[in-house]
Amino acid sequence: MVLAVRKSVEWGITAAKLFVRRECRILSTLPEKQEYAEKQIERAPSGRKSITKKSILESRHIYPEFLPDPNPNWRNSLREKLEREDMLKRRGQVEIPEFYVGSVLAVTISDPHAQSKTNKFVGICIERKGCGLRADFTLRNVVDHQGVEVRYDLYDPTIQKIQVLRLEKRLDDKLLYLRDSLPEYSTFPFDMDQEILPEGSEVPVNPIQVVLKPKPWVERWERQELKGIANIEEYLTEKNKIKRELRKTPWEKYDLMKQYRKTIPIEDQKEIWTEVYTQLHQLQSAQKKMSRKRVFTSPKSLLA
Amino acid sequence: MATNIQILCRNIFKLRIDHVVHSSSFTPRYRPPYWYSKKERQGSSNEHLTRDNIDFIEEVVQDKNTNQTNLKSPLVNISPQSIQPWTPRTRRVGLIARKIGNYPVWDKNGKKLQTTLLQVVDNHVIKYIPPEEYKPMISKNHWKEKPTHGCLLVGSETIDPTTVTKDYCGLFDRVGMLPKKYLYRFVISPESALPTGTPLFATHFRVGDYLDVRAKTMDRGFQGVIKRWGFKGMPASHGVTKTHRRPGNIGGGGEKARVWPGTKMPGHMGNRWRILRGVKILRINTKHNVIWTLGVAIPGETGAMCYLYDTILPLRKLQTTPPFPTQPPTDDLPLEFYDESIHRFENPTLSFEEM
Amino acid sequence: MFKTLVSKIIPSTLTPTKCCSIMPPTCSFHTTSCLNEVRLLTRLRVVDNSEIGKRAMAEGKPPRVICVYNKKRVGFIGDRVLVAIKGQKKKGILVGLKQIQKVRVPKFDSNNVVLIDDNGTPLGNRIHVPIPTILRTILKERTHAKGADYTKLLAIATRFV
Repeated sequence: MVLAVRKSVEWGITAAKLFVRRECRILSTLPEKQEYAEKQIERAPSGRKSITKKSILESRHIYPEFLPDPNPNWRNSLREKLEREDMLKRRGQVEIPEFYVGSVLAVTISDPHAQSKTNKFVGICIERKGCGLRADFTLRNVVDHQGVEVRYDLYDPTIQKIQVLRLEKRLDDKLLYLRDSLPEYSTFPFDMDQEILPEGSEVPVNPIQVVLKPKPWVERWERQELKGIANIEEYLTEKNKIKRELRKTPWEKYDLMKQYRKTIPIEDQKEIWTEVYTQLHQLQSAQKKMSRKRVFTSPKSLLA
Repeated sequence: MATNIQILCRNIFKLRIDHVVHSSSFTPRYRPPYWYSKKERQGSSNEHLTRDNIDFIEEVVQDKNTNQTNLKSPLVNISPQSIQPWTPRTRRVGLIARKIGNYPVWDKNGKKLQTTLLQVVDNHVIKYIPPEEYKPMISKNHWKEKPTHGCLLVGSETIDPTTVTKDYCGLFDRVGMLPKKYLYRFVISPESALPTGTPLFATHFRVGDYLDVRAKTMDRGFQGVIKRWGFKGMPASHGVTKTHRRPGNIGGGGEKARVWPGTKMPGHMGNRWRILRGVKILRINTKHNVIWTLGVAIPGETGAMCYLYDTILPLRKLQTTPPFPTQPPTDDLPLEFYDESIHRFENPTLSFEEM
Repeated sequence: MFKTLVSKIIPSTLTPTKCCSIMPPTCSFHTTSCLNEVRLLTRLRVVDNSEIGKRAMAEGKPPRVICVYNKKRVGFIGDRVLVAIKGQKKKGILVGLKQIQKVRVPKFDSNNVVLIDDNGTPLGNRIHVPIPTILRTILKERTHAKGADYTKLLAIATRFV
């Protein structure tokens, strides 16, 4: 244990040294510049132009699947453009709302196997991945004391309706640890009511920490630096803790090249968002109007 | 006596077995056609040119480019009566396309299908060589055969003529075209010949037809037998030493005492020409000239070039008359063609009614 | 005496969703995530209310697969399996799997089985967990006019997802 601690301290020092050296060396290269530019834009919201730019760039959180895969071997501007056109066409047919990992969704699909030919599932979104038309998300729920997960393609033409029942974020990017946590954390009734956030408010982050069941687990959660687990320490053996220390990669946050390879450069992003932003905005406003109409009509029918 | 030996010798020389043996481990050699050899361009540096000269060259190139883009398709001048009808034995010209990636489409039963996108980039007919003059360098047929098929040179992607050699440029200059980056010959029947300068579009093929796609596979470098031939390897433990990914025995002993030709061994993998036959066309975009084909097995990485032909598979051959000799350029084509099994993205959500 | 003690202890420690594919303690060096396939000697969870199934689950001795009736010998949704349960051989149908499923097909937290007899009639008369809707199509395809009728299983299901 002592050894491990000493090792980690040494690593920290070396990483710091590396970082300092990197700062001196790489400042003149391309990725560094772009990062710098992005920071500047985010820092200075004064002036109308920068605000619009910022709001355009903000949509990468709302519509993450519009950004292509950053692997340069798979990129092609024409294919990405055609893909975006198809995505917008599909979005014109069905409302795909803004949601995040941790939001509670209700998805209605047309199912040839079901008796009523439609199928509704309610659950918490535990994973959202893929880009372009390949984007998918996974819902989890506990029905009759049995954990059930269903994966859906976001642009699947059999999806009739996606409804966000509770719009919120969680502390982690993936909630796969809900598989090993107590069932009450992933239990949601099928007749759950929609919770409407006030207009213009930010998406709240739910700081809830889940309680894990004892081992065996699906994955080694202790190695993933998860914030949303309350009681992981009580199940760890001494060996697990040592291994966790050894497997840590604290230098990765200083690896600018790795970050650059994992992201789309800001120039490309601007191009993409200027291409799709107006259409997305129109779709969003049109769908808002539709939903408002629905809200206004329902009390009338009740009164009558 | 001498005459007998002479006859024997003559007969022995006639026997050829080199075209009988087809080893699966055929290695590609560099065999350039007689009219194309890669040469270093002489005087490629612009250091001797003055500013005015450089500007003049650019102007000339631009003029030629605009002339060519404004060029009308020579198909318009040909009357439809002079074209011979299509028969199932006719061979049409193919296309040169670039693989630009893959993404899913859905069919009307809600099933997800993976597709590969092929972009037909700026294809023009360069030259037609009639059957009498067409003498291919490599031919499997060593006997004399009456030539029945001609050859059509098709080029793709116009490039700056100042960047290529004089010989290559001359090939195109003789027929009044600008040089192309990719040049390929298609063996065709004489009735499907096309005049020089005819543009070819993605609508040359129809939705629902089947293609043969010829392309170079991904270059994987020198690989061992497990990756190259799918051998099982040996166990990772239980006393196995130093032979985890080795091929093992490669030949018998005894009388043979040698390795048979064609034995699967480590070596260079990929970077070979391969043909994928019978690929279905699901969707065609006429604006960008993009073809969606079913499946992800088209060889090569994203951005590689491939050649498209009508398939020769007997059950998937063309049944009805295709655009023959090719689709003339018209303005009233719809933006997209879809196969009838494919769900359009702009159509409303699928619903399965009671059967 | 010992048996009763065990039966008292085990149901309390065993949570209902976690009773199958528990890795033996010696296999601690797996570096990849496991496939969770249903194959020979996999422990299953009986989800109907048949007497034998209820008792086996209550005693903490869930049935084991001793044969999967298909070519691949790996069980998929709707496949028929032979299980060893309380010293007897019974047939069952897989109605929920833990392994990764296709899009729109639910993935469960345990491998669920419903016991049937040779004619396809379920031994119990109620299934107390949800079963996937795709099972309806699969079982209808498997049912032949003169062979076993598996669609009786759908009649005792309480909920579809």
